Amino acid sequence: MTDNLLEAAGLMVHYPIRSGMVVNRTIGHVKAVDGVDLAVPRGSTYGLVGESGCGKSTLGRALLRLEDITAGTVTFQGRDITKLRGEELRKLRRHAQMVFQDPMASLDPRQSVQSMLTEPLRVHGLAESDRAEFGKNSAKAHAAKAASMLELVGLPRSALGKYPHEFSGGQRQRIGIARAMILNPELVIADEPVSALDVSVQAQVLNLLSDLQDRFGLTYVVVAHDLAVVRHISDTIGVMYLGRMVEEAPADDLYREPLHPYTTSLLSAIPVPDPVVEDARERVLLDGDLPSPANPPSGCRFHTRCPWRRDELCATEDPPLREIAPGRRVACHWAETIAAGRIEPHAAAVVPAKDAEGAGGSATAAD
Amino acid sequence: MTQLPQDAAGVTPTERPPALAAAMAGGVETDEGGTSLWTAALKRLVRNPSAIVGAVIVAAFLIVALLAPVLAPYRPSTTEWANQVTPSRLPAFSPQHPLGLDPFGSDLLTQLIYGARQSLIIGVVSTVLGLLGGALLGILAGAFGGWVDTLVMRLVDILLSIPSLLLAVSVAAIVGRRPESLMIAIAAAQVPVFARLLRGSMLKQRGQDYVLAATSLGLRRRSVVMGHVFPNSLGPVIVQATLILATAIIEVAALSYLGMGSPDPTVAEWGRMLVKAQERLESYPHLTILPGLCIAVTALGFTLLGEALREALDPKTRK
Amino acid sequence: MTTTYPGVDEASPGSRTPLLSVRDLRVTFGRRGQTGFRAVDGVSFDISPGEVIGLVGESGSGKSVTSMAIMGLLPTRGVRVEGEALYDGRNLLDLSQRELCRVRGSQLAMVFQDPMSSLNPVVTVGTQVTEVLHAHQKLSRADAKAEAIDLLRRCGIPDPGRRFGEYPHQLSGGMRQRALIATALACKPKLLICDEPTTALDVTIQAQVLELLAELVSSLGTAMVMITHDLGVVAGLCDRVNVMYAGRIVEQAPRRELFAHPRHRYTEGLLNSIPRLDGDRDEPLHPIPGTPRDTIGWEKACAFAPRCRHATDECLRPDLELRQLAPHHDVRCVHPAGAASSGATGGASAAGRSPEPPKERS
Repeated sequence: MTDNLLEAAGLMVHYPIRSGMVVNRTIGHVKAVDGVDLAVPRGSTYGLVGESGCGKSTLGRALLRLEDITAGTVTFQGRDITKLRGEELRKLRRHAQMVFQDPMASLDPRQSVQSMLTEPLRVHGLAESDRAEFGKNSAKAHAAKAASMLELVGLPRSALGKYPHEFSGGQRQRIGIARAMILNPELVIADEPVSALDVSVQAQVLNLLSDLQDRFGLTYVVVAHDLAVVRHISDTIGVMYLGRMVEEAPADDLYREPLHPYTTSLLSAIPVPDPVVEDARERVLLDGDLPSPANPPSGCRFHTRCPWRRDELCATEDPPLREIAPGRRVACHWAETIAAGRIEPHAAAVVPAKDAEGAGGSATAAD
Repeated sequence: MTQLPQDAAGVTPTERPPALAAAMAGGVETDEGGTSLWTAALKRLVRNPSAIVGAVIVAAFLIVALLAPVLAPYRPSTTEWANQVTPSRLPAFSPQHPLGLDPFGSDLLTQLIYGARQSLIIGVVSTVLGLLGGALLGILAGAFGGWVDTLVMRLVDILLSIPSLLLAVSVAAIVGRRPESLMIAIAAAQVPVFARLLRGSMLKQRGQDYVLAATSLGLRRRSVVMGHVFPNSLGPVIVQATLILATAIIEVAALSYLGMGSPDPTVAEWGRMLVKAQERLESYPHLTILPGLCIAVTALGFTLLGEALREALDPKTRK
Repeated sequence: MTTTYPGVDEASPGSRTPLLSVRDLRVTFGRRGQTGFRAVDGVSFDISPGEVIGLVGESGSGKSVTSMAIMGLLPTRGVRVEGEALYDGRNLLDLSQRELCRVRGSQLAMVFQDPMSSLNPVVTVGTQVTEVLHAHQKLSRADAKAEAIDLLRRCGIPDPGRRFGEYPHQLSGGMRQRALIATALACKPKLLICDEPTTALDVTIQAQVLELLAELVSSLGTAMVMITHDLGVVAGLCDRVNVMYAGRIVEQAPRRELFAHPRHRYTEGLLNSIPRLDGDRDEPLHPIPGTPRDTIGWEKACAFAPRCRHATDECLRPDLELRQLAPHHDVRCVHPAGAASSGATGGASAAGRSPEPPKERS
């Protein structure tokens, strides 16, 4: 058995939809996460992708017990943490940290960097491994650790006295990362760590995350909508749709051979910054919009938009996430058949590659 | 601790060609800074002309009120010149009484100066009471949410549904005609305003990521609320308190005009001065205009300062 | 004006007169008496009829301000707009509000990033489309409605008859953006400016909207300016691409040329720093150091120099020229990438059309 740092089984997070003026009645549930199983081996990076509303961020927070879990279990360091409360839950925070999407919103605007970085140390004390270097817990030791952490994320010591609004987005994210790492956690969950940043700065932060992982042997769960980012940083990728995991695969395999129709469409929808590739690509366009997570479709949740949908099974039976090859799990009744090319997508959904004519044609027109 | 091998900060100034580095100096990345939001707000405040005007008025008001015994030529309660006053005639201005006498034979300037003191004491005390009461309810509602929130807010709704003057008159009827009744009355009218404001502000902050971040760092709930949510929710409350001081000063005058406050007729108060003057509005308009002006200018001062504070604390609202 | 080059295999600006010609556009923000912040610092480009050009840059590059200035949508107070935007022989920047209103909608139209805030929340979608039709065409009520429903249908809105009577908040993000595109295209404008039209949308919806835009533009013959930070969007859609940095265009080229041979160090850096879906995962990313804030004013030096790994003291040249390094490929850089081969093409182009011979390095 492999050494999994984090595991989730049948995890569900349902938000009640309330209505009423005086007494709130629950009139339904938004099924943000609706039965997810995953396992994250120690030292690896697990990427969660999906579009807004698929429940990936909720899942990320639920794994850290920052959301109320409706059902299922989360196991961290071999211990069931689903029911932890109070002090025990607080103590867990030392080992599992979070990096947020919007570094401006996730840093208290009235707190100086110094206070921000030493706050977790004041709560939990220095990590065991840091005692040798920085000495016993004291304001001075905490300040020294904060300064060294800042240096590690590529910011000058002088940043300690500054406030969040005095930094650029990328620098703020470095502060957020420094704060998450200062307790030497084992697990870091990063929720859209680069999507709020400028394109030219994203790579800096991605590299920083990789470097820190190598240095501290961290385990990451990276939540992002940008599949290219997730693919770059992750070992394993889980694709989510409407609160469910629809496919899980090693990062390389997922792009080379997506098995779930949703993954295929998602991959084909992502623009590649290369006209040659863009022109040669055949696109699969999805119908319509995401259904409401309060009232997901029957059967396979993706069947309302699926270009490969069949009349049998899809609308009636919920496909389980099953392993069809080593390390490859997919929730589709027809995965093997589609992979073998025996089911074609509906023609209306396919936009042919434009390379055949496209660019050459317009050039002649211009001349 | 050593730098990471491939640090993204990348090109350091030493690697740059000399002239280029020189050209960049000053423009990019200075080590200055360390300005907290409060300091930054203060800087914006002192650059705002209306803040200066407001602050000057408020400062003048404070000085006059605090130093009344020094500044006023006479004691406030004295009516020793009553014999110079007849029902139809007041003596003309004189060096002894630069603004003349009031219909009861008191020095008008003295009355105005002591009136400032009265307005300040009642206005400030009532606003502080209102703020404390409101903040308590607001924190209770904003920090706990759930049924506590519902309960507190319904209570506040009930308070809000009573017109503030009516509330004040009822308080006065219960407590009696004393300065304290004015304070309590005005404070009672302010409690729901502050409670709602702080609760709303805290709820808004509670939804922010930094609160989630603080929780995920393992902070205790009390530290999250008092250390992060509360300080960030204070801005609008400070603004409102300043603005409410203006209203409070007008309300003090209004309630005194209606006959509340101290039963001692010799206590100088701007609202009461208006009562005394109204019969002589035509013959001696300055008796009405001067206290009226004092009320208006003081209220204006607090309003200007409050609005300027609002802009300074939340620069996004600036046009 | 310009000559076409045989052997250039992509749509070129061509010999036709441009539809819109932006010349030396400058936009300065600032109160009177203060030294202002120059958001756009001398931007020039042409759009031919039916052409799709891209304006790419990060936040603060001035790409959005450029489009707002062309459309006359910047506030008049505290903003100074200089230069020319010639459309149909008239300078759009000189037009009065009334004249502008006539041009906007009928000739030029714009699609914004956030469809929720660009659609009026208290007016039905249908009314917003017919409104534009009414304003610029004499149509009867019934005709306008029929036309509007047809438009909504062509913009990929299912059940347009029902959607016609709905309010923006009843539509999903993607549908709203389609409705906004429908209003923009209502009067068949000659030029459509899209400012980050898909940034707020999910990728699968983005793909739908981009496909729709490409289709509509080619079927209506509308020219389009696509403003985006996403190089991927530009790669699939635009004929020519302008890369902006700190208020100036730093590189102009046909898209294939640009992506195959990025010459400006910023463009090159951007392409090297984004993880690619089809790239090698083990290849490390090469980020551009610093942040877009770290710039020097163009009047002193190359604004990108502080972040550029190839910067030398020679980059301290005031007001660097945009020079032609290959046919239709202009670059504002002292040390362009691929300099080894630039000798031949640079020489050829100097003899060609470049109004000013490229400055040789001293």
